[in-house]
Amino acid sequence: MNALKKFHAIFRGRKLATAGLIWLCIVAFAAIAAPLIAPFDPLEIDPVARLSEPGTPYLFGTDHFGRDSFSRAIYGARMAVMIGLGSVFVALGTGGLIGMLSAYFTRLGHVLMRGVDVLMAFPALLLALVLMTLLERSATNTIIVIGIVYATTTARILFGMTLKLKGEVFVDAAICSGAGHGSILFRHILPNLISPLLVQASFIFAFAQLQAAALDFLGLGLPPEVPSWGNMLSEERIYVTRAPWLLIFPGALIILSVFSMNLVGDAMRDSIDPRFKDDIAGV
Amino acid sequence: MLVYTIKRLLALVPTLLAATILVFLFIHLIPGDPAAILLGDTATPEEVATLTREMGLDEPIWRQYLLWLGNVIQGDLGTSVFFRQPVLSVIGDGAETSILLATMTMFWIVLFGIPIGILSATRHGTWVDQVTSGGAMLFASVPTFWLGLYLILIFSVGLGWFPSSGFPSLSDNGGVANLRYLILPSLTLAAPNAALIIRLVRASMLDVAREDHVRTARAKGLHPAKVAIRHVFRNALIAVAAAFGFTFAALVSEAVVTETVFSLPGIGRLVVQSILRRDYPVIQGVILVIVILYMVINLLVDLTYARLDPRVSLK
Amino acid sequence: MALLDVTDLEIAVAAGGKLLPVVRGVSFEVEESETLGIVGESGCGKSLTSLAIMGLLEGSQVRLTGGSIRFDGRELTTLSPKERRAIMGDQMAMIFQEPMTSLNPVYRIGDQITETLRQHRDMTRGQARDRAVELLDLVRIPEPSRRIDSFPHQMSGGQRQRVMIAMALSCDPKLLIADEPTTALDVTVQKEVLDLMADLQTRMGAAIVLISHDLGVIAETCDKVAVMYRGKIAEAASASDLFKNMSHPYTRGLMNSIPVVDHDVEWLEAIPGRVPTIDEVLPGCAFHPRCKIAETRCSAEDPAAREMAKGHEVRCHFAGKGAA
Repeated sequence: MNALKKFHAIFRGRKLATAGLIWLCIVAFAAIAAPLIAPFDPLEIDPVARLSEPGTPYLFGTDHFGRDSFSRAIYGARMAVMIGLGSVFVALGTGGLIGMLSAYFTRLGHVLMRGVDVLMAFPALLLALVLMTLLERSATNTIIVIGIVYATTTARILFGMTLKLKGEVFVDAAICSGAGHGSILFRHILPNLISPLLVQASFIFAFAQLQAAALDFLGLGLPPEVPSWGNMLSEERIYVTRAPWLLIFPGALIILSVFSMNLVGDAMRDSIDPRFKDDIAGV
Repeated sequence: MLVYTIKRLLALVPTLLAATILVFLFIHLIPGDPAAILLGDTATPEEVATLTREMGLDEPIWRQYLLWLGNVIQGDLGTSVFFRQPVLSVIGDGAETSILLATMTMFWIVLFGIPIGILSATRHGTWVDQVTSGGAMLFASVPTFWLGLYLILIFSVGLGWFPSSGFPSLSDNGGVANLRYLILPSLTLAAPNAALIIRLVRASMLDVAREDHVRTARAKGLHPAKVAIRHVFRNALIAVAAAFGFTFAALVSEAVVTETVFSLPGIGRLVVQSILRRDYPVIQGVILVIVILYMVINLLVDLTYARLDPRVSLK
Repeated sequence: MALLDVTDLEIAVAAGGKLLPVVRGVSFEVEESETLGIVGESGCGKSLTSLAIMGLLEGSQVRLTGGSIRFDGRELTTLSPKERRAIMGDQMAMIFQEPMTSLNPVYRIGDQITETLRQHRDMTRGQARDRAVELLDLVRIPEPSRRIDSFPHQMSGGQRQRVMIAMALSCDPKLLIADEPTTALDVTVQKEVLDLMADLQTRMGAAIVLISHDLGVIAETCDKVAVMYRGKIAEAASASDLFKNMSHPYTRGLMNSIPVVDHDVEWLEAIPGRVPTIDEVLPGCAFHPRCKIAETRCSAEDPAAREMAKGHEVRCHFAGKGAA
């Protein structure tokens, strides 16, 4: 009930953000139910129908192999969700944890945050590219790499926020009542960080899509057989004059999804604790 | 100010050294024999052995690192496997394009980002604000290469206004007019970044507008525009300036995609091609250069902070 | 004719789609070179009243919904924004509660003073700067020609407030509105600033509207006093008259709750209950739930202003009753 009230408070009066949320639900549904709702196998080739226009039975037309774009788009949704969630998981799990622990244990923190500083000297895309050269192309590796890229900013953000919370009175109260480090961290500090973490997660989710698409485009992201929106754009770009719809649909899907996630994150950000607002200035 | 600058430069050294260690280790992290990798697939075992001895690859790793570091300080970043030229000169060739591209992009960002951001903040709550904020967020959600492709489609192929690929040097025929090759690419790069700046300017100005000193300014009977610029924007500039610095730094590397789409001979494209060609000395060299660039810009941002905000004490 | 004549001022706040009245019909007059003190607890509407007079009511959230403000013979509520701005900072000036944040941190204080001067007067940079140095000297800032180039963060709270005063008085205004000017300052500094204001008033002849929740401050400096409660003036009189013959139970409650140093008491007196929130609707007299002498009439009928003695008006059915 509480969650529902909060939900209403965040989205009330924000039509765009609500529309974004609805779109994201559609994407999530497509991701989950892909095998059930895709009319064709995304890998199935129909050479006769190569580069055909949108219509029936190929709703979004076919690509240069004769694969159904609509089905590929639906499976692409699955990839998008996986990349998004995976990156968030990696970024928050590693970066967030490092940031939190660094702020809480100051001596350890000095060392760790120095390491983070060094990593932050490498621009995001470059870091991703470099890491991808060391690893082979796979979905998992792409997710890990993107996650690491955003782990640095997440670490900084969590560091700042935990520092602020550490100085709060309720932490002193918990210490006085004999609470151990683990208890303080996970029962007192972490719950306060949930909202800003969710906001940060939504921005990471959004930007991960763009990073993954960029990597795919450069030939360094997901392996080419995997149906993803980024791959669809990358593979079909030479046909842009013959079959412009091949680029419009995946592109629009990416834009819509990123836009929606940004809107949702923005709406959530307005309702989090004001003292954290400065920390989360976007990714 | 001078003392502060020197102090900050000295503080950079440890981080820089750590970064160089990471960059150095990069080649050694790649599975396989470094010498064999450098020479490529066609090398014979004797050639590999010779190179190993020559490059001191059989020495202990810390020795190799110091050797490498020594070379770097003297300007020798190694030799490109693909070009068979010093890495530094290969990078230098791409630098002209990248720097010009980054500068033009910054120009668009300032030209569009700041006024629209100010407009959005001063018309807060009206439809102007909603449209510009929403539009900004939309542009920040567009994948650069997609935008680039469509710009090419519309303005190059369709209208023929601008060329769609390549960039002859300014020192070639055409001189400054060659900059038109960079117009579409710089617009492509500028779009998402300008969007972020618009949102940042707007957010910072709205924060500042709530502060007491703005009320004091209005109580002096100043025209609202004067209040908005001299008292709100000027104070918001502190937060925005930092973002500008980082945007510029990021542009040099994030331009990778744009350079690929528009076939520009810049550093970004150099990195990608080197990755695909396994030209590790070049990759190493570029990373090092960009890391140094980042750090220098970081320092400049700090110094700018101090100039813009008198409260920052330069201890 | 009074310099400032406020009649039936009404101000409302937009919240949750509704317009909630905060100031519900306030009237008072201020003569030239006179000091009016407005006392009241937080939320009574005194700050909003002063902002309305000055013309600083912000945008869509707070609105003037009724009444008139006549200043120097002109009706302010019907002026265009441009005409209003011509008066702000020139004939009418205001200083605020928080000296620490009321000055722009990125500009030198000299530049902030000259900004006002050059806005309203035809002066060269040099002339404005000289005048600024004079003003700093006037507000007793030591070494004014050196300190004119200081930044606000290089000065103490008391000094910053004095700079605010200098800025406000730079164009020789006829009216100075001071909204809790000393509340954020140390007690010793408070006295300095108040003395300074009194001195300047004598020299420059400006009228002052002083807003405070501190009766002590009001008693020291004001010719007339108006006590506000929940958007209305509960009692208004000359200072001497008010402190000798306070008649409204709220005024009495305020007075009695000030602890006296040389008296030993078991319990501190406080006005029972709490200030009603902005959206609560109270029939009758707004103070009746907390009033010691309230009777049934009070919960039904809102008392009108009554003149108890010359220049002394009270809004209470039973004004004067009960021990002082």
